[in-house]
Amino acid sequence: MKLKQSFLIALTLIIIALTSWELYWRSQGKYPNLNDDKALWAMHRANVETASKDDVIIFGSSRAYFDIQIDEWEKATGKKPIQLASPGSSPLPSFHDLVNNTSFNGTVILGVTPGLFFSTTYPGADPWSRIQTKVDHFYNRTYADRSNFWLSIPLQTNLVLMSADEELWSDDIDLKSLLRRVKIGDRTGNPQMPPFYSFGDVRLDRNMSMTKRTVQDTAFANSIIKVWSYLGKSAPPPDKKSTMAFFLEDLKKFKERNGKLILLRCPSSGGNRMGENMVFPRVDFWDDLVEQSDVPSYHFEDYDQLKDLTCPEESHLSKEDAEYFTRELAKIIIEDGIIINSKTK
Amino acid sequence: MLFNSLSFVVFLVIVLALYYSKLFNWTNKKRMLLLASYLFYAMWNPPLILLLWISTVVDWSAGKRLAIEENQRKRKLWLLLSMSINLGFLAFFKYGDFLLENFVSIANSIGLNFEAKPMGILLPMGISFYTFQTMSYTIDMYHKKTERARTFLDFALYVTFFPQLVAGPIVRAKELITQFYEPKTATTNQFLWGLFLLTLGLFQKVVMADSLLADTSDTVFDSGQLIHGIDAWVGTLAFSGQIFFDFAGYSTCAIGIALMLGIILPDNFRYPYASLGFSDLWKRWHITLSSWLRDYLYIPLGGNRHGITRMYVALMVTMLLGGLWHGAAWTFVVWGGLHGTYLILERLQRKHLPFEITKWNGIFLAFITFSCVNITWTFFRAPDFPKAWNMIKSMFYMQTDGVKILETFDIIKVCTVVGILFLCHWLMRNTSVKEVAQKTSPVFLGIVWAIMIFILCIAQGSGEQFIYFQF
Repeated sequence: MKLKQSFLIALTLIIIALTSWELYWRSQGKYPNLNDDKALWAMHRANVETASKDDVIIFGSSRAYFDIQIDEWEKATGKKPIQLASPGSSPLPSFHDLVNNTSFNGTVILGVTPGLFFSTTYPGADPWSRIQTKVDHFYNRTYADRSNFWLSIPLQTNLVLMSADEELWSDDIDLKSLLRRVKIGDRTGNPQMPPFYSFGDVRLDRNMSMTKRTVQDTAFANSIIKVWSYLGKSAPPPDKKSTMAFFLEDLKKFKERNGKLILLRCPSSGGNRMGENMVFPRVDFWDDLVEQSDVPSYHFEDYDQLKDLTCPEESHLSKEDAEYFTRELAKIIIEDGIIINSKTK
Repeated sequence: MLFNSLSFVVFLVIVLALYYSKLFNWTNKKRMLLLASYLFYAMWNPPLILLLWISTVVDWSAGKRLAIEENQRKRKLWLLLSMSINLGFLAFFKYGDFLLENFVSIANSIGLNFEAKPMGILLPMGISFYTFQTMSYTIDMYHKKTERARTFLDFALYVTFFPQLVAGPIVRAKELITQFYEPKTATTNQFLWGLFLLTLGLFQKVVMADSLLADTSDTVFDSGQLIHGIDAWVGTLAFSGQIFFDFAGYSTCAIGIALMLGIILPDNFRYPYASLGFSDLWKRWHITLSSWLRDYLYIPLGGNRHGITRMYVALMVTMLLGGLWHGAAWTFVVWGGLHGTYLILERLQRKHLPFEITKWNGIFLAFITFSCVNITWTFFRAPDFPKAWNMIKSMFYMQTDGVKILETFDIIKVCTVVGILFLCHWLMRNTSVKEVAQKTSPVFLGIVWAIMIFILCIAQGSGEQFIYFQF
């Protein structure tokens, strides 16, 4: 066998093929981006183990993730928060993990997206299992998992072709995602979710910001809105009783060890907000939660500087607005004396 | 550490660089390989290296004594010590919860109100493989079929050699230890062929098993619904392809990596889905396990030396235990039992209804064998008996009101991949990848190699574990 010859031919072809593949996707507007996966979440969850009383941890769903910009928060408070919010997830499992498996007694900002916070406590349901998978990964990750993650960072941040996100975005370009786009007929007759494209860029410090395309391209933003509409219509009715009871029990334990919790309702707009107001009337859900929790709480509607912010895809703020929202929110919380600016204390 | 991970790529490059550097003599190269093998295992769970060490020390000591001890009673005791430690590890770590669960069921069925919480024991990766491998050494030493390993280093490396540590091939001492006695380096052709096999193995695992088949198989077997017959068949076919590509992929990687170091490992798969009957299947599927079970279980149980009834009993016991080796659940025992039944029926057919296999009826026979194998996979993959039974009912249309859960494209994809797999096995059944590669032009081979690497790169995979790691 002339394997040397075969090897050199393979090497040459593979360099040409991969370069062409990379250039093609870049020409289609794609750029290298970090995957927002469980390995990244677990890396930040590990920081909780050494966090002090002065630290702030953010839990919640994608709104707390997109709308609190880490750099702005750090500028305003002097301390970088630990961002543990997770898209499409209930914050209850991760807060439960914090309360029951750590001794952290600093400050927690807990984002309340009504459709997810009040969704369920059933472990198999999507809002629960999505974040529980991340929590489990933190405990179960092996040294090999950790080194795989670290080795993948330079590849993910420099190559477009490294795009196999565990979120399974419709515009991922790995083999499985490309095959998922092929549709022939409708054999199952199941309702089909509209294409769901990635609309955020995450950094290694888990700062998430909305992509420029989502802000500038209305058709693209509308494609995301269609997904919210689909998810809203297909969601089961809220389970306020169980979710509240679960949360309040953990909150009680957290308060007993002098932990500080802040409830936060981030902005939503358009049809999405109308839908939320219908299914989760403020007085029945948010106000009741605040009353029973008896903790500082911030609803964007209550502040003149926040209430008119508009979300390009009806659920999350653009990067610029998120920076503004973070600055203003930090200012309000500091003014209320809930947290202090560690640079000026 | 998984072969299909970035950590392994870095690990392998460093090991190869050290192995082929002029820094070490042969003994130090072996020490380096041993340390690398421990690191390879520790990257998963460091404390469980202790089990490997205990197994190594016990079997080395037993082997040492068996080499010089002439007293038959003492020889037996040394063998028993080795087997008790290895089988004890297996019993505790792999079957602990299973045994407890069955004990509780039996106790309750006879009216003793007994409750016990599952122990939640972590299954050490590859324990079924390395315990069987080390036991083969002491059993062979007992029967004076192999020589004692020359040094502890050679023996420790035999137990721990990283390419085949966690999922085989299960190598006999005389096949591997002797290769460690003299310095080994791969020729350029061997090294490149090893690299080609590594590529092929990864392609089988990452592209064929994980990217093309796993989702369909998971959708069907994880569904709580009573599904349509077509969906049940397609899900079973998908698993059939997935488990072949997953396990054969691992073995191909292991053989390739060892070859890059100049070490030769035995074949573990020879196109099993083109088997003509079940005796043929077990000479082609997981060959090193089947030959282990034949030599250390079937033959000691009497084999075919004590009449037909005893032979059938030995065959059935071997297959039932072979099933249990795969997993601590009764579904695996049923899987083994079905294979045992097939083997017995085949022997009865050969005795009472013999016929000649020609090239015309061969493919039909291979297809029948493949179809029967698919039925057994249902029990192997299903999480429990109700699911397995529902699948069987759906597959044979006793369940006509099943739900359609697969889209048309998934069905086409699975049927195409598994159809090509079956035909490839049929066409390759009397040859090997190497023979085919030798007849292929270097340019075409280079193109095929490049295509595999390219698809591997775009498939990426999310580092799914090999199915056989859990066994």
